[in-house]
Amino acid sequence: MEKKMKNALLTFLTASAGFLLMPFLAEAHHGWTEFDLNHVATYEGTVADFHYTNPHCVVEFDVRDEKGQVQKWQGEFSNPSHLSRKGWTAATLQPGDKIAIAGNPAKNHGPALHVTWIRLPNGQEFQIEGGR
Amino acid sequence: MEFYRRSPAQFDGGIGSSRRLAGGLAFCTLFAVIVLSAPSLAQSSPAAGLEDGIPITDPAVIAKCGSCHARDARGNMQRISWARTTPEGWQNVVKRMVLVNGVSLSAPEARQIVRYLSGSHGLAPEEAKPVMYGAERRIHEETNIPDNNLRTACAQCHAFALPLSWRRSPDDWKQFVDSHAVRHMFPPSAEAVAFLAKAAPLHTPEWEAWSARTSLPNLAGRWLVTASMPGRGKYYGEMQVDRAGDDEFATRVNLTSVTDGSKVLRTGRTAVYGGYAWRGRSNGAGPVSSAPDDLSSEAREVVWIAPDHLRAEGRWFWGQYQELGFNVQLQRASSDPTVMIVDRPSLKAGSRGNRVRVIGYNFPAGVTPPDLDFGPGVMVRGIVSSTSVEIVADVDIAVDAPLGKRGLALRGSLLPGAVAIYDRVDYVKLTPESAVAAFADAKHPKGYLQFEAIGYQRGADGRLHTADDVDLGPVDVTWSFQVFHAHEGSSADYVGRISASGFFTPAVENPNLNYDCWAIATATSDKDQNGAPLVGKAYVVVTVPTYIFNGRRYVRELDRWVDDGPA
Repeated sequence: MEKKMKNALLTFLTASAGFLLMPFLAEAHHGWTEFDLNHVATYEGTVADFHYTNPHCVVEFDVRDEKGQVQKWQGEFSNPSHLSRKGWTAATLQPGDKIAIAGNPAKNHGPALHVTWIRLPNGQEFQIEGGR
Repeated sequence: MEFYRRSPAQFDGGIGSSRRLAGGLAFCTLFAVIVLSAPSLAQSSPAAGLEDGIPITDPAVIAKCGSCHARDARGNMQRISWARTTPEGWQNVVKRMVLVNGVSLSAPEARQIVRYLSGSHGLAPEEAKPVMYGAERRIHEETNIPDNNLRTACAQCHAFALPLSWRRSPDDWKQFVDSHAVRHMFPPSAEAVAFLAKAAPLHTPEWEAWSARTSLPNLAGRWLVTASMPGRGKYYGEMQVDRAGDDEFATRVNLTSVTDGSKVLRTGRTAVYGGYAWRGRSNGAGPVSSAPDDLSSEAREVVWIAPDHLRAEGRWFWGQYQELGFNVQLQRASSDPTVMIVDRPSLKAGSRGNRVRVIGYNFPAGVTPPDLDFGPGVMVRGIVSSTSVEIVADVDIAVDAPLGKRGLALRGSLLPGAVAIYDRVDYVKLTPESAVAAFADAKHPKGYLQFEAIGYQRGADGRLHTADDVDLGPVDVTWSFQVFHAHEGSSADYVGRISASGFFTPAVENPNLNYDCWAIATATSDKDQNGAPLVGKAYVVVTVPTYIFNGRRYVRELDRWVDDGPA
């Protein structure tokens, strides 16, 4: 009987406890260990897409190499909360925008950067300290 | 009738049924109990002399809480009288009092206390609405966190909606934040206190107005329901609500899929707190299969009833992480014609002969083309068929029809935003745009994700991803999944697989690692200005299950276990 009642109370108490669980969002969740933080590479490219999302904002951009071939790159920032304090929104980077971008290259030499600096088409420049 | 009492030995880690029960409970508690720092022992409230409290009159609260929370001559009880919150907030306070402070309660007593406090010390509907995404367990990007101080104090371990679902006096906020800082080891934040005292005060015009007229709504009767489930599309139907107790109702809902006509029957029971907060459970009529997204799954129902008691909206959800479910809207059935839903969310400018189904209730007989008014530029060429619940019509869209959302009117009934007129799909956006999926282990089921690819047209400003962009509804896509920085074309099967309908299932094995991934939707017919298929992406972190150990949860950002108190 006691056990039954315990279950009854727990059932009641847990009935809507899920409210208090954090919404299942990805927040900042890892360091930047996959990037070589001792080196910085700079590129000029064209924005293909911009993802203003948690846990990281990501700009996809196209870079034309010396042979004229387009390489698809990915630049990773911190989260929207940090960028919003610099005045950024989801519309700050538009497909087709010409940008200059600098960051720590991926250790695996893949086409990815941990962004540390960016210049927008209007000439505005942003230092992105620590990805922020 | 003592039900649940914890001895000091149990708090020190004694193994017993209480602990097992508490261990199970702890999973559901997670961040919640961290934040809801009702005092271990009630401390004197400095607010008492500064701001009027809200007196307590319920005998159960006085009897069960009064030994620690002293009651003054005006009926104010320490701490309790200077706080207001949602049913979930009070429920977790009661839980904490049981688990941590050894309060002895029977289930009916606990229920009565939560019911009373949710009404007398609850939120006004207008206060609850902005934070409903918390109770509804929606994935929600919180963009309202003012600065890092607030993030550290209020949103590092849990949603910002959690503190914003409380209202307290300034001194009670200070006491709360200070004790929270000590317990969870972050610097006391005067900024957080100042912000919360201003953003979430105890006394508000909304609360004064609502508390003066709160009454139990009589929900009994027929309600019209429109619903959507990501990946499955839209549903429509009716719900019969019958009174089943003082503040409880029995529900029976029949839904029909707009997409394929399949039926869903669910029955449930719900309580209504504070005059508007619907909290219920329902089950499908049929047996539940092993498919995680089975529509007969037992669901929790969290619904916000509008102050006029004529409309309601919310979410019915299930899953290990409450990641699956219906978004629902209800309106009372009346004798008037009611347009509920249009099967096509968008129509292209310049297109002709679009067959459109208009679904509703009490449609009049003899509907003619002029009866259906889609606004300028949309011509109803003919009525194909017409019944009391469905009209099928052929419509042409003028090349120069104004772009954007528009309503549909039918003899006095208006469905706002019924369809969107567009000239081009400019981009594909996935919902959710970012989310976490979880591997399973021996004790934890998987956390799934259902994605949906929505087409958008730029708005009047000509820029993408701004507030005036127009949602055109789901677009046809093919799905793929890619691990960040992986070589092009390499398989992501070791992380998980995404189905043809955008349902992501993590790999069974738990590699004890995080993977940052893209869920990718490639449009089958919509192309960009260069002729390439439109592509939408969602950022997915596939990670370990949410571990709970002895009531503590590991918070990665803090690199430590957060102590919820003994479990």
